[in-house]
Amino acid sequence: MFTSFDRTVLANSALLLNGLSITAYTCAIAFLLAVFLGLATCMLRLYVAALRPLAIAYIEFCRATPIFVQLLWVNYVWPTLLGFPRTAEGAGIIALALQSSGYLAETFRSGIQGFPRGQYEAALALGISRPTIALRIVAPQVLLMMAPAVVNQMAVVVKSSTLVSVIAIPDLMYEALRIVDQWLEPTAILTTAALLYFLVIFTISTCAERIATRFRTRFGLPVTG
Amino acid sequence: MLHRLGALLDPALFWEYRVILLKGLAVDGYVFLASATLAVLLAFAIAIARLGRNTLLRALATAYAEFFRNTPEYILLVWVYYVVPVLLGQLLATKVDISPYVASVLALGLAYSGFLSETVRAGILSVPRGQIEAALSLGLRRFQILQRIILPQALRRMLPEALNQFVSLFKATSFVSLVAVPDIMYQVSMIDTQEMRPIPLYTGAAVLYCVVIICASQSIQHLSERWRRRGWA
Repeated sequence: MFTSFDRTVLANSALLLNGLSITAYTCAIAFLLAVFLGLATCMLRLYVAALRPLAIAYIEFCRATPIFVQLLWVNYVWPTLLGFPRTAEGAGIIALALQSSGYLAETFRSGIQGFPRGQYEAALALGISRPTIALRIVAPQVLLMMAPAVVNQMAVVVKSSTLVSVIAIPDLMYEALRIVDQWLEPTAILTTAALLYFLVIFTISTCAERIATRFRTRFGLPVTG
Repeated sequence: MLHRLGALLDPALFWEYRVILLKGLAVDGYVFLASATLAVLLAFAIAIARLGRNTLLRALATAYAEFFRNTPEYILLVWVYYVVPVLLGQLLATKVDISPYVASVLALGLAYSGFLSETVRAGILSVPRGQIEAALSLGLRRFQILQRIILPQALRRMLPEALNQFVSLFKATSFVSLVAVPDIMYQVSMIDTQEMRPIPLYTGAAVLYCVVIICASQSIQHLSERWRRRGWA
Protein backbone atom coordinates (compact mmCIF):
# COMPACT_ATOMS: atom_id res chain seq x y z
CA MET A 1 0.00 0.00 0.00
CA PHE A 2 2.79 2.43 0.87
CA THR A 3 4.82 1.72 -2.23
CA SER A 4 1.69 2.31 -4.26
CA PHE A 5 1.24 5.57 -2.36
CA ASP A 6 4.69 6.69 -3.59
CA ARG A 7 4.00 5.64 -7.15
CA THR A 8 0.45 6.86 -7.51
CA VAL A 9 0.12 9.86 -5.20
CA LEU A 10 3.54 11.35 -4.47
CA ALA A 11 4.91 10.89 -7.98
CA ASN A 12 1.80 12.59 -9.36
CA SER A 13 1.33 15.28 -6.76
CA ALA A 14 1.85 18.07 -9.31
CA LEU A 15 -0.83 16.55 -11.52
CA LEU A 16 -3.23 16.20 -8.60
CA LEU A 17 -2.67 19.77 -7.46
CA ASN A 18 -3.26 20.96 -10.99
CA GLY A 19 -6.49 18.96 -11.01
CA LEU A 20 -7.47 20.54 -7.71
CA SER A 21 -6.85 24.01 -9.13
CA ILE A 22 -9.06 23.19 -12.14
CA THR A 23 -11.74 22.00 -9.72
CA ALA A 24 -11.44 25.26 -7.79
CA TYR A 25 -11.54 27.38 -10.93
CA THR A 26 -14.53 25.53 -12.42
CA CYS A 27 -16.44 25.74 -9.15
CA ALA A 28 -15.68 29.43 -8.61
CA ILE A 29 -16.88 30.49 -12.06
CA ALA A 30 -19.89 28.18 -11.91
CA PHE A 31 -20.86 29.53 -8.50
CA LEU A 32 -20.57 33.17 -9.58
CA LEU A 33 -22.65 32.43 -12.66
CA ALA A 34 -25.19 30.59 -10.49
CA VAL A 35 -25.53 33.56 -8.11
CA PHE A 36 -26.07 35.87 -11.06
CA LEU A 37 -28.60 33.57 -12.78
CA GLY A 38 -30.35 32.82 -9.51
CA LEU A 39 -30.70 36.50 -8.65
CA ALA A 40 -31.99 37.32 -12.13
CA THR A 41 -34.54 34.47 -12.06
CA CYS A 42 -35.65 35.41 -8.57
CA MET A 43 -36.22 39.02 -9.65
CA LEU A 44 -38.21 37.89 -12.69
CA ARG A 45 -40.29 35.56 -10.55
CA LEU A 46 -41.07 38.19 -7.95
CA TYR A 47 -41.38 41.40 -9.93
CA VAL A 48 -42.15 40.65 -13.59
CA ALA A 49 -45.62 39.12 -13.65
CA ALA A 50 -45.52 38.31 -17.38
CA LEU A 51 -42.39 36.17 -17.05
CA ARG A 52 -43.33 34.51 -13.76
CA PRO A 53 -44.48 31.16 -15.26
CA LEU A 54 -41.28 30.99 -17.30
CA ALA A 55 -39.13 31.69 -14.25
CA ILE A 56 -41.00 29.05 -12.22
CA ALA A 57 -40.57 26.49 -15.00
CA TYR A 58 -36.83 27.26 -15.16
CA ILE A 59 -36.40 26.96 -11.40
CA GLU A 60 -38.37 23.73 -11.22
CA PHE A 61 -36.48 22.20 -14.11
CA CYS A 62 -33.09 23.08 -12.61
CA ARG A 63 -34.05 21.73 -9.21
CA ALA A 64 -35.75 18.56 -10.37
CA THR A 65 -33.14 17.24 -12.82
CA PRO A 66 -30.07 15.40 -11.49
CA ILE A 67 -26.81 17.25 -12.08
CA PHE A 68 -25.38 14.34 -14.05
CA VAL A 69 -28.32 14.40 -16.46
CA GLN A 70 -28.01 18.17 -16.86
CA LEU A 71 -24.30 17.87 -17.49
CA LEU A 72 -24.71 15.37 -20.33
CA TRP A 73 -27.69 17.30 -21.66
CA VAL A 74 -25.74 20.57 -21.82
CA ASN A 75 -22.67 18.82 -23.21
CA TYR A 76 -24.39 16.86 -26.01
CA VAL A 77 -27.55 18.80 -26.79
CA TRP A 78 -26.78 22.50 -26.37
CA PRO A 79 -23.99 22.81 -28.95
CA THR A 80 -26.30 21.62 -31.75
CA LEU A 81 -29.45 23.28 -30.49
CA LEU A 82 -28.08 26.61 -29.27
CA GLY A 83 -24.59 26.82 -30.77
CA PHE A 84 -22.79 26.91 -27.43
CA PRO A 85 -20.89 25.85 -25.27
CA ARG A 86 -18.04 24.93 -27.58
CA THR A 87 -15.75 23.34 -24.97
CA ALA A 88 -16.15 20.73 -22.26
CA GLU A 89 -15.10 23.32 -19.67
CA GLY A 90 -17.94 25.57 -20.81
CA ALA A 91 -20.45 22.73 -20.62
CA GLY A 92 -19.29 21.77 -17.14
CA ILE A 93 -19.51 25.33 -15.85
CA ILE A 94 -22.94 25.92 -17.38
CA ALA A 95 -24.36 22.65 -16.03
CA LEU A 96 -23.07 23.32 -12.51
CA ALA A 97 -24.38 26.90 -12.66
CA LEU A 98 -27.77 25.78 -13.98
CA GLN A 99 -28.29 23.34 -11.15
CA SER A 100 -27.33 25.79 -8.41
CA SER A 101 -29.13 28.77 -9.90
CA GLY A 102 -32.46 27.01 -9.36
CA TYR A 103 -31.74 26.40 -5.68
CA LEU A 104 -30.27 29.87 -5.16
CA ALA A 105 -33.27 31.55 -6.80
CA GLU A 106 -35.51 29.88 -4.21
CA THR A 107 -33.13 30.83 -1.39
CA PHE A 108 -33.13 34.48 -2.51
CA ARG A 109 -36.91 34.47 -2.84
CA SER A 110 -37.52 33.10 0.63
CA GLY A 111 -35.00 35.62 2.01
CA ILE A 112 -36.75 38.55 0.34
CA GLN A 113 -40.27 37.35 1.11
CA GLY A 114 -39.33 36.55 4.69
CA PHE A 115 -38.35 40.14 5.41
CA PRO A 116 -40.88 41.73 7.77
CA ARG A 117 -42.73 44.45 5.88
CA GLY A 118 -43.35 46.40 9.09
CA GLN A 119 -39.67 47.35 9.36
CA TYR A 120 -39.78 48.83 5.89
CA GLU A 121 -42.89 50.86 6.72
CA ALA A 122 -41.41 52.01 10.02
CA ALA A 123 -38.25 53.21 8.26
CA LEU A 124 -40.36 55.09 5.70
CA ALA A 125 -42.36 56.69 8.49
CA LEU A 126 -39.13 57.85 10.12
CA GLY A 127 -38.25 59.61 6.88
CA ILE A 128 -35.33 57.41 5.84
CA SER A 129 -34.75 57.47 2.11
CA ARG A 130 -35.48 54.37 0.05
CA PRO A 131 -31.85 53.66 -1.00
CA THR A 132 -30.74 53.95 2.63
CA ILE A 133 -33.50 51.57 3.71
CA ALA A 134 -32.44 49.07 1.07
CA LEU A 135 -28.75 49.36 1.97
CA ARG A 136 -28.81 49.74 5.74
CA ILE A 137 -31.95 47.88 6.83
CA VAL A 138 -33.08 45.36 4.25
CA ALA A 139 -29.82 44.14 2.70
CA PRO A 140 -27.85 43.28 5.87
CA GLN A 141 -30.69 41.27 7.38
CA VAL A 142 -31.72 39.51 4.19
CA LEU A 143 -28.11 38.67 3.29
CA LEU A 144 -27.42 37.24 6.73
CA MET A 145 -30.65 35.28 6.65
CA MET A 146 -29.65 33.70 3.33
CA ALA A 147 -25.93 33.23 4.08
CA PRO A 148 -25.99 29.64 5.39
CA ALA A 149 -28.05 28.33 2.46
CA VAL A 150 -25.92 30.19 -0.09
CA VAL A 151 -22.66 28.82 1.31
CA ASN A 152 -24.17 25.35 1.54
CA GLN A 153 -24.84 25.62 -2.15
CA MET A 154 -21.14 26.38 -2.66
CA ALA A 155 -20.35 23.04 -1.03
CA VAL A 156 -22.92 21.37 -3.30
CA VAL A 157 -21.17 22.86 -6.34
CA VAL A 158 -17.83 21.38 -5.26
CA LYS A 159 -19.48 18.02 -4.65
CA SER A 160 -21.21 18.00 -8.02
CA SER A 161 -18.04 19.16 -9.77
CA THR A 162 -16.61 15.62 -9.42
CA LEU A 163 -18.95 14.66 -12.25
CA VAL A 164 -17.40 17.03 -14.80
CA SER A 165 -14.54 14.52 -15.06
CA VAL A 166 -17.01 12.43 -17.08
CA ILE A 167 -16.89 14.95 -19.95
CA ALA A 168 -13.05 14.95 -19.80
CA ILE A 169 -12.42 18.14 -17.86
CA PRO A 170 -9.05 17.38 -16.17
CA ASP A 171 -10.15 18.12 -12.61
CA LEU A 172 -9.00 16.27 -9.48
CA MET A 173 -11.41 13.38 -10.02
CA TYR A 174 -10.32 12.99 -13.64
CA GLU A 175 -6.62 12.87 -12.75
CA ALA A 176 -7.28 10.39 -9.94
CA LEU A 177 -9.21 8.06 -12.26
CA ARG A 178 -6.51 8.34 -14.91
CA ILE A 179 -3.85 7.32 -12.41
CA VAL A 180 -6.02 4.35 -11.39
CA ASP A 181 -6.19 3.29 -15.03
CA GLN A 182 -2.45 3.66 -15.42
CA TRP A 183 -1.25 1.76 -12.32
CA LEU A 184 -4.29 -0.41 -11.53
CA GLU A 185 -3.65 0.36 -7.86
CA PRO A 186 -6.72 2.23 -6.73
CA THR A 187 -6.39 2.20 -2.95
CA ALA A 188 -3.95 5.00 -2.17
CA ILE A 189 -4.89 7.39 -4.92
CA LEU A 190 -8.67 7.15 -4.55
CA THR A 191 -8.45 7.41 -0.76
CA THR A 192 -6.26 10.50 -1.08
CA ALA A 193 -8.63 12.08 -3.57
CA ALA A 194 -11.65 11.34 -1.38
CA LEU A 195 -9.92 12.86 1.66
CA LEU A 196 -8.91 15.95 -0.34
CA TYR A 197 -12.49 16.48 -1.45
CA PHE A 198 -13.72 15.92 2.09
CA LEU A 199 -11.26 18.49 3.46
CA VAL A 200 -12.25 21.13 0.90
CA ILE A 201 -15.99 20.65 1.37
CA PHE A 202 -15.79 20.28 5.13
CA THR A 203 -13.75 23.49 5.38
CA ILE A 204 -16.26 25.40 3.29
CA SER A 205 -19.27 24.24 5.27
CA THR A 206 -17.63 24.61 8.70
CA CYS A 207 -16.14 28.07 8.10
CA ALA A 208 -19.36 29.32 6.61
CA GLU A 209 -21.46 28.01 9.47
CA ARG A 210 -19.15 29.64 12.01
CA ILE A 211 -19.19 33.01 10.25
CA ALA A 212 -22.93 32.89 9.75
CA THR A 213 -23.54 32.03 13.41
CA ARG A 214 -21.27 34.85 14.60
CA PHE A 215 -22.98 37.46 12.47
CA ARG A 216 -26.40 36.21 13.39
CA THR A 217 -25.70 36.41 17.12
CA ARG A 218 -24.18 39.85 16.71
CA PHE A 219 -27.30 41.14 14.96
CA GLY A 220 -29.61 39.33 17.36
CA LEU A 221 -31.09 36.99 14.75
CA PRO A 222 -32.12 33.46 15.68
CA VAL A 223 -29.24 30.97 15.32
CA THR A 224 -30.24 27.91 13.31
CA GLY A 225 -28.56 24.54 12.89
CA MET B 1 -38.47 27.24 -36.57
CA LEU B 2 -40.84 25.16 -34.42
CA HIS B 3 -40.95 22.52 -37.11
CA ARG B 4 -37.15 22.31 -37.18
CA LEU B 5 -37.06 22.08 -33.40
CA GLY B 6 -39.59 19.25 -33.56
CA ALA B 7 -37.44 17.39 -36.09
CA LEU B 8 -34.34 17.88 -33.93
CA LEU B 9 -36.00 16.76 -30.71
CA ASP B 10 -37.90 13.92 -32.39
CA PRO B 11 -39.75 12.30 -29.47
CA ALA B 12 -40.46 9.29 -31.73
CA LEU B 13 -36.92 8.03 -31.16
CA PHE B 14 -37.45 8.10 -27.42
CA TRP B 15 -40.75 6.26 -27.88
CA GLU B 16 -39.13 3.61 -30.07
CA TYR B 17 -36.81 2.59 -27.21
CA ARG B 18 -39.45 2.94 -24.48
CA VAL B 19 -39.11 -0.62 -23.15
CA ILE B 20 -35.33 -0.39 -22.62
CA LEU B 21 -35.63 3.08 -21.11
CA LEU B 22 -38.39 2.03 -18.73
CA LYS B 23 -36.28 -0.94 -17.70
CA GLY B 24 -33.49 1.53 -16.98
CA LEU B 25 -35.84 3.59 -14.86
CA ALA B 26 -36.83 0.40 -13.01
CA VAL B 27 -33.15 -0.29 -12.29
CA ASP B 28 -32.90 3.23 -10.85
CA GLY B 29 -35.93 2.50 -8.69
CA TYR B 30 -34.43 -0.77 -7.52
CA VAL B 31 -31.08 0.81 -6.58
CA PHE B 32 -33.01 3.61 -4.90
CA LEU B 33 -35.10 1.26 -2.74
CA ALA B 34 -32.12 -0.82 -1.65
CA SER B 35 -29.89 2.15 -0.83
CA ALA B 36 -32.73 4.02 0.91
CA THR B 37 -33.31 1.01 3.17
CA LEU B 38 -29.61 0.79 3.98
CA ALA B 39 -29.41 4.55 4.58
CA VAL B 40 -32.38 4.54 6.99
CA LEU B 41 -30.99 1.65 9.04
CA LEU B 42 -27.53 3.25 9.28
CA ALA B 43 -28.99 6.70 9.98
CA PHE B 44 -30.95 5.48 13.02
CA ALA B 45 -27.91 3.66 14.40
CA ILE B 46 -25.71 6.75 13.91
CA ALA B 47 -28.25 9.21 15.31
CA ILE B 48 -28.84 7.10 18.41
CA ALA B 49 -25.07 6.68 18.91
CA ARG B 50 -24.61 10.46 18.60
CA LEU B 51 -27.20 11.10 21.29
CA GLY B 52 -26.06 8.30 23.57
CA ARG B 53 -23.94 8.35 26.72
CA ASN B 54 -20.81 6.62 25.38
CA THR B 55 -18.27 9.36 24.55
CA LEU B 56 -16.17 7.28 22.17
CA LEU B 57 -19.22 6.06 20.27
CA ARG B 58 -20.52 9.63 20.11
CA ALA B 59 -17.27 10.94 18.63
CA LEU B 60 -17.10 8.12 16.09
CA ALA B 61 -20.71 8.64 15.02
CA THR B 62 -20.16 12.39 14.62
CA ALA B 63 -17.04 11.80 12.51
CA TYR B 64 -18.98 9.29 10.40
CA ALA B 65 -21.84 11.71 9.77
CA GLU B 66 -19.50 14.60 8.93
CA PHE B 67 -17.41 12.47 6.59
CA PHE B 68 -20.30 11.14 4.56
CA ARG B 69 -22.11 14.48 4.46
CA ASN B 70 -19.06 16.26 3.10
CA THR B 71 -17.69 13.77 0.56
CA PRO B 72 -18.95 13.73 -3.04
CA GLU B 73 -21.18 10.76 -3.87
CA TYR B 74 -19.31 10.08 -7.09
CA ILE B 75 -15.94 9.52 -5.41
CA LEU B 76 -17.60 7.37 -2.74
CA LEU B 77 -19.10 5.27 -5.51
CA VAL B 78 -15.78 4.86 -7.29
CA TRP B 79 -14.01 4.21 -3.99
CA VAL B 80 -16.43 1.45 -2.99
CA TYR B 81 -16.29 -0.06 -6.47
CA TYR B 82 -12.48 -0.11 -6.83
CA VAL B 83 -10.99 -0.03 -3.34
CA VAL B 84 -13.33 -2.17 -1.23
CA PRO B 85 -12.64 -5.35 -3.31
CA VAL B 86 -8.88 -4.77 -2.96
CA LEU B 87 -9.06 -4.26 0.79
CA LEU B 88 -11.41 -7.20 1.31
CA GLY B 89 -9.19 -9.34 -0.92
CA GLN B 90 -6.11 -8.54 1.18
CA LEU B 91 -8.05 -9.17 4.36
CA LEU B 92 -9.46 -12.54 3.28
CA ALA B 93 -6.48 -13.47 1.09
CA THR B 94 -8.74 -14.31 -1.85
CA LYS B 95 -9.92 -12.47 -4.93
CA VAL B 96 -13.08 -10.53 -4.14
CA ASP B 97 -15.37 -9.05 -6.76
CA ILE B 98 -18.07 -6.52 -6.03
CA SER B 99 -20.88 -6.21 -8.53
CA PRO B 100 -21.69 -2.70 -9.74
CA TYR B 101 -25.12 -3.04 -8.09
CA VAL B 102 -23.66 -3.82 -4.67
CA ALA B 103 -21.13 -0.98 -4.98
CA SER B 104 -23.88 1.49 -5.95
CA VAL B 105 -26.20 0.48 -3.14
CA LEU B 106 -23.37 0.58 -0.58
CA ALA B 107 -22.02 3.95 -1.74
CA LEU B 108 -25.37 5.70 -1.97
CA GLY B 109 -26.57 4.11 1.26
CA LEU B 110 -23.48 5.30 3.12
CA ALA B 111 -23.58 8.79 1.60
CA TYR B 112 -27.24 9.40 2.44
CA SER B 113 -27.03 7.79 5.88
CA GLY B 114 -24.91 10.83 6.78
CA PHE B 115 -27.61 13.30 5.71
CA LEU B 116 -30.45 11.22 7.13
CA SER B 117 -28.75 10.80 10.51
CA GLU B 118 -28.94 14.59 10.91
CA THR B 119 -32.67 14.48 10.14
CA VAL B 120 -33.20 11.65 12.61
CA ARG B 121 -31.17 13.45 15.26
CA ALA B 122 -33.16 16.65 14.81
CA GLY B 123 -36.39 14.64 15.04
CA ILE B 124 -35.31 12.96 18.28
CA LEU B 125 -34.13 16.26 19.77
CA SER B 126 -37.49 17.85 18.96
CA VAL B 127 -39.17 15.72 21.63
CA PRO B 128 -39.36 17.96 24.72
CA ARG B 129 -36.85 17.04 27.45
CA GLY B 130 -39.60 17.24 30.09
CA GLN B 131 -41.35 14.20 28.65
CA ILE B 132 -38.18 12.13 28.99
CA GLU B 133 -37.67 13.31 32.56
CA ALA B 134 -41.30 12.50 33.37
CA ALA B 135 -40.87 9.01 31.89
CA LEU B 136 -37.65 8.48 33.86
CA SER B 137 -39.34 9.51 37.08
CA LEU B 138 -42.16 7.07 36.33
CA GLY B 139 -39.51 4.37 36.24
CA LEU B 140 -39.42 3.56 32.50
CA ARG B 141 -36.20 2.05 31.19
CA ARG B 142 -34.13 3.97 28.64
CA PHE B 143 -35.00 1.59 25.83
CA GLN B 144 -38.70 1.80 26.69
CA ILE B 145 -38.51 5.59 26.62
CA LEU B 146 -36.90 5.47 23.18
CA GLN B 147 -39.41 2.98 21.86
CA ARG B 148 -42.64 4.24 23.41
CA ILE B 149 -42.15 7.97 23.82
CA ILE B 150 -39.36 9.38 21.66
CA LEU B 151 -39.58 7.42 18.42
CA PRO B 152 -43.36 7.66 17.80
CA GLN B 153 -43.20 11.46 17.98
CA ALA B 154 -39.78 11.87 16.37
CA LEU B 155 -40.69 9.69 13.37
CA ARG B 156 -43.66 11.86 12.46
CA ARG B 157 -41.65 15.06 12.78
CA MET B 158 -38.75 13.83 10.67
CA LEU B 159 -40.95 12.44 7.89
CA PRO B 160 -41.22 15.53 5.61
CA GLU B 161 -37.48 16.23 5.73
CA ALA B 162 -36.62 12.54 5.28
CA LEU B 163 -38.83 12.37 2.18
CA ASN B 164 -36.92 15.31 0.71
CA GLN B 165 -33.68 13.44 1.36
CA PHE B 166 -35.12 10.48 -0.52
CA VAL B 167 -35.79 12.72 -3.51
CA SER B 168 -32.11 13.75 -3.46
CA LEU B 169 -31.14 10.10 -3.20
CA PHE B 170 -33.25 9.28 -6.24
CA LYS B 171 -31.49 12.03 -8.17
CA ALA B 172 -28.14 10.59 -7.12
CA THR B 173 -29.07 7.19 -8.58
CA SER B 174 -28.31 8.71 -11.99
CA PHE B 175 -24.57 8.46 -11.15
CA VAL B 176 -24.64 4.66 -10.94
CA SER B 177 -24.44 4.45 -14.73
CA LEU B 178 -20.79 5.50 -14.26
CA VAL B 179 -19.94 2.08 -12.79
CA ALA B 180 -21.95 0.36 -15.55
CA VAL B 181 -25.19 -0.31 -13.71
CA PRO B 182 -27.70 -0.45 -16.60
CA ASP B 183 -29.86 2.41 -15.35
CA ILE B 184 -31.63 4.94 -17.55
CA MET B 185 -28.59 7.15 -18.21
CA TYR B 186 -26.56 4.07 -19.11
CA GLN B 187 -29.24 2.96 -21.58
CA VAL B 188 -29.41 6.44 -23.06
CA SER B 189 -25.67 6.55 -23.71
CA MET B 190 -25.74 3.01 -25.16
CA ILE B 191 -28.60 3.87 -27.53
CA ASP B 192 -26.76 7.09 -28.42
CA THR B 193 -23.63 5.22 -29.54
CA GLN B 194 -25.92 3.19 -31.81
CA GLU B 195 -28.09 5.96 -33.18
CA MET B 196 -25.71 8.93 -32.94
CA ARG B 197 -28.62 11.19 -32.07
CA PRO B 198 -27.95 12.70 -28.67
CA ILE B 199 -30.55 15.48 -28.84
CA PRO B 200 -33.80 13.51 -28.45
CA LEU B 201 -32.19 10.94 -26.16
CA TYR B 202 -30.58 13.23 -23.59
CA THR B 203 -33.45 15.72 -23.68
CA GLY B 204 -35.89 12.85 -23.20
CA ALA B 205 -33.92 11.56 -20.22
CA ALA B 206 -33.80 15.03 -18.65
CA VAL B 207 -37.55 15.52 -19.13
CA LEU B 208 -38.31 12.05 -17.77
CA TYR B 209 -36.28 12.64 -14.59
CA CYS B 210 -37.81 16.09 -14.25
CA VAL B 211 -41.38 14.72 -14.46
CA VAL B 212 -40.75 11.87 -12.01
CA ILE B 213 -39.05 14.13 -9.47
CA ILE B 214 -41.52 17.02 -9.74
CA CYS B 215 -44.42 14.58 -9.23
CA ALA B 216 -42.67 13.09 -6.20
CA SER B 217 -41.74 16.39 -4.58
CA GLN B 218 -45.16 17.94 -5.24
CA SER B 219 -46.93 15.02 -3.58
CA ILE B 220 -44.47 15.17 -0.67
CA GLN B 221 -45.22 18.86 -0.20
CA HIS B 222 -48.95 18.19 -0.39
CA LEU B 223 -48.73 15.38 2.15
CA SER B 224 -46.47 17.30 4.55
CA GLU B 225 -48.84 20.25 4.52
CA ARG B 226 -51.75 17.96 5.29
CA TRP B 227 -49.82 16.30 8.10
CA ARG B 228 -48.88 19.67 9.56
CA ARG B 229 -52.47 20.88 9.44
CA ARG B 230 -53.54 17.81 11.39
CA GLY B 231 -50.76 18.45 13.87
CA TRP B 232 -49.30 15.10 12.91
CA ALA B 233 -45.88 16.12 11.67
